[in-house]
Amino acid sequence: MSSENLSADVVIVGSGVAGSSIANELVRAGISVIVLEAGPRVDRQHFVENFRNLENKPSYQEPFPSVPWAPHPPDQRTPNEYLHTTGPDAEAYQQVYLRMIGGTTWHWAGCAWRYLPSDFELKTRFGQGRDWALKYDDLEPFYYQAEVMMGVCGPDPAVEDLGSPRKQPYPMDALPISYAAQQFRKLIDEKTPWRVVHEPQARNTRPYDNRPTCEGHNNCMPICPIGAMYNGSYSVYDAEAAGAKFIPNAVVYKIERDEANKLVTAVHYLDPDKGSHRVTGKYFVIAAHCIETAKLLLVAADEKSPTGVANSSDQVGRNMMDHTGVQVTFISGDKALWPGRGPLETNVIDNFRDGEWRKERGAYLVHMVDDNQVDLATQMAIAKGYVGRELEERIRYLAAHTVRLFSHNEALPDPNNRLTLSKTRKDVLGIPHPDVYYKLPEYTVRSCEHTRKVFRELIGLMHGTDEQWTPGYFPQDHPSGSTIMGVDPKDSVVDGHCRTHDHENLFIASSSVFSTVGTGNITLTVAALALRVADTLKKELNHA
Amino acid sequence: MAENSSSLWMVSPNRMRLSRLLRMSRRDVLLGGMGTVAAGGLVSAQAAEPDAHGSNVPGQPSLLSVNDPLVKQFLDLSHRLTDRDALDEWIAAALCTNIVQSDAKRKEQLQGMHALLEGGKFASASDFARAAEKHDPAFKDVIHDIMAGWYRGVANGKVVVYRSALMFDITKDAVYPKTYAAGGPFYWTSKPPEVDPPKGQPALSPSKFVVEPT
Repeated sequence: MSSENLSADVVIVGSGVAGSSIANELVRAGISVIVLEAGPRVDRQHFVENFRNLENKPSYQEPFPSVPWAPHPPDQRTPNEYLHTTGPDAEAYQQVYLRMIGGTTWHWAGCAWRYLPSDFELKTRFGQGRDWALKYDDLEPFYYQAEVMMGVCGPDPAVEDLGSPRKQPYPMDALPISYAAQQFRKLIDEKTPWRVVHEPQARNTRPYDNRPTCEGHNNCMPICPIGAMYNGSYSVYDAEAAGAKFIPNAVVYKIERDEANKLVTAVHYLDPDKGSHRVTGKYFVIAAHCIETAKLLLVAADEKSPTGVANSSDQVGRNMMDHTGVQVTFISGDKALWPGRGPLETNVIDNFRDGEWRKERGAYLVHMVDDNQVDLATQMAIAKGYVGRELEERIRYLAAHTVRLFSHNEALPDPNNRLTLSKTRKDVLGIPHPDVYYKLPEYTVRSCEHTRKVFRELIGLMHGTDEQWTPGYFPQDHPSGSTIMGVDPKDSVVDGHCRTHDHENLFIASSSVFSTVGTGNITLTVAALALRVADTLKKELNHA
Repeated sequence: MAENSSSLWMVSPNRMRLSRLLRMSRRDVLLGGMGTVAAGGLVSAQAAEPDAHGSNVPGQPSLLSVNDPLVKQFLDLSHRLTDRDALDEWIAAALCTNIVQSDAKRKEQLQGMHALLEGGKFASASDFARAAEKHDPAFKDVIHDIMAGWYRGVANGKVVVYRSALMFDITKDAVYPKTYAAGGPFYWTSKPPEVDPPKGQPALSPSKFVVEPT
């Protein structure tokens, strides 16, 4: 045991968007903060170099190798070296994420959706899933705060209303969509009852927060080469500049509580050499990603809480959700589109995000991905047997006409979809790997079937050929639900302020608290919830 | 904590490649039909462990010289198979080295294909590719390696060149290699060039190819 004295007003576990933004808010309010990050401190440029040297360019996880003491899934393959998924839809839950300073937004695409008011009231409005223990209006000011923090661009609601009421305009104007997206939008406008909207994005359409305007490198995932897209590392740098202490390579494994098991008194972490360190504080926030947060609470089980910390409800690790994806790639028979000019994800068909049919099937949104298809076109043309001049003209044609569509289909919280600790596999520190059992809810399956019909219609409208459907269902890396929010401590882990029912000074800031998963990418809601946690902590600490 | 362990995340692309090859994923198996990763590639990848920063790592075959007769033969084959007169000899040497390392049979196959090229008259890449596959069906995989090398910049499962891959040369009027955009503010809103449907036919028999999720 180290003799060092590590103590702060607030101790945060995890340095992604959630943990770093809370740290930044608190430290700027004069509250001392220590952030413990399991993974290493990293820098952008090395990831850019790794990407350029990567043979399989679409592999978003591979430029980010993990360290032995903080492993993360190396890829989305089943079986997996780290995240072991089982059950009838194991492959649909093969999530990837990153354990390092800054967190998983190193390789997000910057899609910054607010949830719809109905997403928070799925049970009341549609008789499905659960209601959150808060309403959209409770979160609205924090959504805006998160948009300002990240630098989100989006459309004027008077022109293009995305369904989430706003009190303030987006901090930046909407990103002008590419020629390919313009043609797609024209087709949808003219030939379908649907619409294509500008996707709100944490991406600069003008210089913002000392970061440059997007230059359209088309590499938001896995790594924006110039920092025009927000990621969690920027909140880390801001928080550090204001005096927050970040400790990398600090793997929390134990959560110490008082005699009454009501207050957390310290967390303990292991360094890579297995030295143990104790960090005390007044408040504690677990902000360690949906999967690692649940894993930590289970790993921390002890005599007082034999099934895990904050787990009197037995809901820790249950209700695992995601946006399940349907994906198809095909060759358009229309004019050249040349996808891959500009950022990756800029436009969405949003007609299927909400409707009375949510009583029967899950909602979804559709992305027409603006991904540079030159490498894929080259691989396809070589596989078809072309060489020489014929190969070159085929590559040009395929690169100009390849279209990829994918969806985010809504899941439901099912307690049987559960994360547990592996009994056989452990990391070098002796901490068990996570296992997840997953069976797609029928609600989601019906949603995916609807998506396939819509995709077939779109392929027809674009005179598409050579369609290749990604087999089955695939994960969208938006895991949520593992420490679910609710008003009843018997069937939920945290309350509407993300405070654990069991321990009054322990909060959780993660998509793990989501009661439903909606359709928009989860990060903006994670950030808004985190900023709301920061607001609560500021009030309580300043009051104290 | 030891300094080396704190920088473990900074592993080289070569080590990542090795790790990926040894996992032998579903995608790799599928691409294996294209000759991108053959069983021999695994063996040589293991032999190349740990890191090859250049050509002089112990246990790692040296990069072939641009004057090596095999590189000259490789360049002849490459000119014919790309229908191009001007190809970079340094890239040829690097591609040739990696292709030969990827499979124990590749050197002999390249020499055999070169003999075929020398012994006949072939008006185009397609003419020669057809003749080569007819002569020896295994030559198809060698041609795939040469095509993937020049056009994708990839050989032996490794990025040999990125921006200089020919696939970017033939699309440079429309798109940029990822991470290298230089079109000015919001360049992506402008209309890119039209591309007429190609009329050319494949020269080789088709291979299976599946688009994997990202």
